[in-house]
Amino acid sequence: MNIGHKLRVAREGSGYTLRQVSAQAEVGESTLSDLENSKREPKFAQLSRLADIYKRPIEFFLMDDIPGENVMLWRDTPSTEDEKKKTEAEFRQLCEQYHRLEVLMGEAKKPKLPGPEVSEPGEFGFQQADNFARKVQNQFCLGDIPSTSLKQVLEENLYVKIFHLDFAGSAISTKSEEFGSAILLNRNNRLWRRNYDLAHELFHVLTWDIFRKAPLSANKPSEFEEKLANAFASRLLLPTDSVRERIDQVKGSGTTVTLEQLDEVAREFGVSLDALLWRMLHLYGTPAEEIQKYIQQGSQLKTSRPPRLSDEPDKLPERFCSLAIRALRDGKLSLMQFKKYMDLSYKEAEGYLTDEEGLTDEKISISAA
Amino acid sequence: MKRFQFLLLDAGPIIKLFTLRIWDEFIKRCDVTISRIIADDEALYTEDGCEQINLKPYEEHKLIRIIDVDVLCIDRFYREFKLQGKYDIHAGEQETLAFLCTPSENWMVCSSDQVVFRILGRLNKADQGISLQEILAATGLGSGLKWETANPAAGDWKYTKKFREKWTHKGQEDFVQDSPSA
Repeated sequence: MNIGHKLRVAREGSGYTLRQVSAQAEVGESTLSDLENSKREPKFAQLSRLADIYKRPIEFFLMDDIPGENVMLWRDTPSTEDEKKKTEAEFRQLCEQYHRLEVLMGEAKKPKLPGPEVSEPGEFGFQQADNFARKVQNQFCLGDIPSTSLKQVLEENLYVKIFHLDFAGSAISTKSEEFGSAILLNRNNRLWRRNYDLAHELFHVLTWDIFRKAPLSANKPSEFEEKLANAFASRLLLPTDSVRERIDQVKGSGTTVTLEQLDEVAREFGVSLDALLWRMLHLYGTPAEEIQKYIQQGSQLKTSRPPRLSDEPDKLPERFCSLAIRALRDGKLSLMQFKKYMDLSYKEAEGYLTDEEGLTDEKISISAA
Repeated sequence: MKRFQFLLLDAGPIIKLFTLRIWDEFIKRCDVTISRIIADDEALYTEDGCEQINLKPYEEHKLIRIIDVDVLCIDRFYREFKLQGKYDIHAGEQETLAFLCTPSENWMVCSSDQVVFRILGRLNKADQGISLQEILAATGLGSGLKWETANPAAGDWKYTKKFREKWTHKGQEDFVQDSPSA
């Protein structure tokens, strides 16, 4: 098993020093060092506590080999490597827990995600990103205002795992053989920012097998790939016809629109005013210098208007919670494990059990024939 | 001699016994053994979350026994029974069940978790599970308690014989379905 080596890999992978772990696990530094150097075997309780800190399942330490780490693509990487590793560890743990629940409930699905018309990174240009966004928009039936349904479609139809955490950074995407595609968004960001990040990360997820092939670009997207992802996100969230139609409505019989009117349109589409202004560069051929000027003016507008209403998204996806509750009530997930997955107190977790589920098989059934 | 000698307690019954304020009496009548993880990380508060449970003094005064299971024991348990993907239990429950499966004394597990009873049924160890209701009845501590009707909202039914039987039976069905001839 070589648990010692795995303990070191897990600790370093989650960005902890021996001293930090020692304080958290209440285990001496020399003991930890001995465990990592295989000078002594840990008791299971010690291993379990360390596994919790490193956000690894127990199986990680018991399996014969160390599984390869999944690549995680960051949008706005945090300033320190430790912070990055801790967030990645938490994100990976959530994805693994989600997958465990899917397996428990027999709902681990690997849907075929739509792909672009090209298969090599060199063949990808802005036109291809634009075409691809249109294809995705049609295939997912995202409608006139895609931001309102994108997240739900990705989670429920394509089984993309989308989590929200409070972390230093904007978004992360990953794709794994084991748990499929996953996206992490910053829950503290405003809704419009999260919408854009989601669409941006979706580009990475859908083109993963194209851009992650080359060793040099495997861990970090190139500047050009990021621009393509932005173009895709912009085109996906601001469909040509819907945006043109809305702007036409706003300007009425006139020929110009005010920044205030455009801000309203941006709010309706769930994007920032800046994103809409950049989209206008393509829709109306507005020169880039002019867009820059409007963005400048738009920033002044922002300070004189009340901030947009936003929401605070839940950390866990609806489907994750639904799977956990069903697994608990089906007698496949223990209450303590449910409490851990759902981040609840014992009393809160107990509330998800019902008397009917425990002692009788009587359930209310409604005919759906 | 105590009524129950080789009794492993899961977190739920410990929490319940502290909540009912009969823990001290209970351990006078039963030889209680608890897994290290359950003692240190799981059975921490009473049901209302207000009162802290501290098992350390009981361990220090040898009033209960806390077991520290080897990783190898867990590894054997994993490899032998291949329960991954079918049930998902917490580390304390893994430690308890792995210990139960070591060929030593005829241990009994008292739990209030359906998965624990279900796994006992699946492992063909149905007779090694017991509910808190049954223990309290046998030790004369449960006379005033009406488990199924007393407080359904608090989930007291989890401690009943009926609950244990229902989930153990489900595990026995799993055993039949998983057996090669099924």
